[in-house]
Amino acid sequence: MRATRFGSDSGLGFRMGLVLFFLAATYLAFLVVLTALGADFITLAVFAAAMLGLQYFFSDRLVLMAAGAREVTPEQAPELHARIGRLAAGMDLPMPRVALIETDVPNALATGRGPGASVVAVTTGLLERIDDAELDAVLAHELAHIANRDVMVMTIASFFSTVAFFLVRWLVYVPSVGSGRRGKDGSGGALMAVWLISLLVWAISSLLLRALSRYRELAADRGAAFTTGSPASLAAALTKISGAVARIPQRDLREVEAASAFFIIPVTSREFWATLVSTHPSLEQRLRQLERIQAEMERP
Amino acid sequence: MKLLDILLGRSSPPKARLDALFALATAYVTLLIRQELRSSNRAGIAFRPAQASRFRELTKELDGLLGIAVKETGSSYTVQQDSYGYIWVVLEDKDMEDLVATVHMVSTTVAEHGYGPLLLAAAFRFEEEGRPVYWVYNYKRGRFYPFVPLEGRKRDNAEELRLKAVMAAELPTEPQLDQWYALWDLPV
Repeated sequence: MRATRFGSDSGLGFRMGLVLFFLAATYLAFLVVLTALGADFITLAVFAAAMLGLQYFFSDRLVLMAAGAREVTPEQAPELHARIGRLAAGMDLPMPRVALIETDVPNALATGRGPGASVVAVTTGLLERIDDAELDAVLAHELAHIANRDVMVMTIASFFSTVAFFLVRWLVYVPSVGSGRRGKDGSGGALMAVWLISLLVWAISSLLLRALSRYRELAADRGAAFTTGSPASLAAALTKISGAVARIPQRDLREVEAASAFFIIPVTSREFWATLVSTHPSLEQRLRQLERIQAEMERP
Repeated sequence: MKLLDILLGRSSPPKARLDALFALATAYVTLLIRQELRSSNRAGIAFRPAQASRFRELTKELDGLLGIAVKETGSSYTVQQDSYGYIWVVLEDKDMEDLVATVHMVSTTVAEHGYGPLLLAAAFRFEEEGRPVYWVYNYKRGRFYPFVPLEGRKRDNAEELRLKAVMAAELPTEPQLDQWYALWDLPV
């Protein structure tokens, strides 16, 4: 007898904590340096907070608008609503709103500021391509994003990154934004320093944020596997979706794979950089994790 | 722990709560008398099947346990899968207390095999002037809520709110209305 077959992954939690730690350290160093240089960044911080606040509070509407999604009522899409409702009940979440995106590309997304105000959107291409068990797995993945409050975490985590980004962009045009208490004559060098530091902070924090995003994708995959009790269904869905995405000319996964097989170290520099800046883990990495979960479930 | 869960992503799914199930064994008298409901003597437990070879051990044990329970209490049971892929163990027993006890026994067995997070809900069927009225137990919240389906996937919300108001003192009912999930076409 055991409490649950669905244990936690302390390794993933540790890596995520590490990324958050480095992110906080980067931000702290950024603040210390800005203060030392006497930059008046409070206006900027307020502006960035307002921007991110708006983005956070209207995340559901903004993302839906950008994706061209339209909300559907339970009468318009009864089966999809019923599926999402059952999964949400199993995950102890309130019912999210449901939206459809009219496109042939199979995909799904979840957004919104928290479990109480969130939307799950799926494309019509997804509904056509995958079977019921796989659809449940994809929906559970999106609901796990909501349960994990990913929009909130990513918004807060990217706060100073946004501040640094604004500094980089604006110091070029509007020197007064970053100018400090020093006199007009001495501010040139300090301004340059602030600009360089901001650029550095922005670059580092962007990489860290991407890593965080990848880890949160893996966490959502785990959540989906546990909720549906079927890691294999999510694996099948991911394979199908990425296979269909690969048919779009820009991204041919198989070609890249075939080429890298000839190298002793399979990670070419391009792939390495692609991994580093990607917001999603690679399909292989996700399938490996799901395989591990399946193995855990099979253990006596 | 809650903050850590948010920061690092919820690493494990919510566990099933089983204790509050027994509240129905004492509260049903009120249901029958004050609400003029008739028990249909039927209840169903819904859970997702796990895609693992070990899952068969659970179904085997359930069959064994239910076989014994049927002999002892004179009840009957069926196991079926609905169109959403969930497994329903549907029980029939004239004695409400036995029915609740058997539902609890099935749920505990599922949880003991480590599949507690896959438990969805238990639905107890009653009748009111010939139409079905369900009291649904949500395992993740450990609370009951009423579900009165009408023709064409509609619900009688007024009746549900009335039922909840009457029973709130005796049953642990779900206060959040957005958690009152429908269970369409349930085989109970």
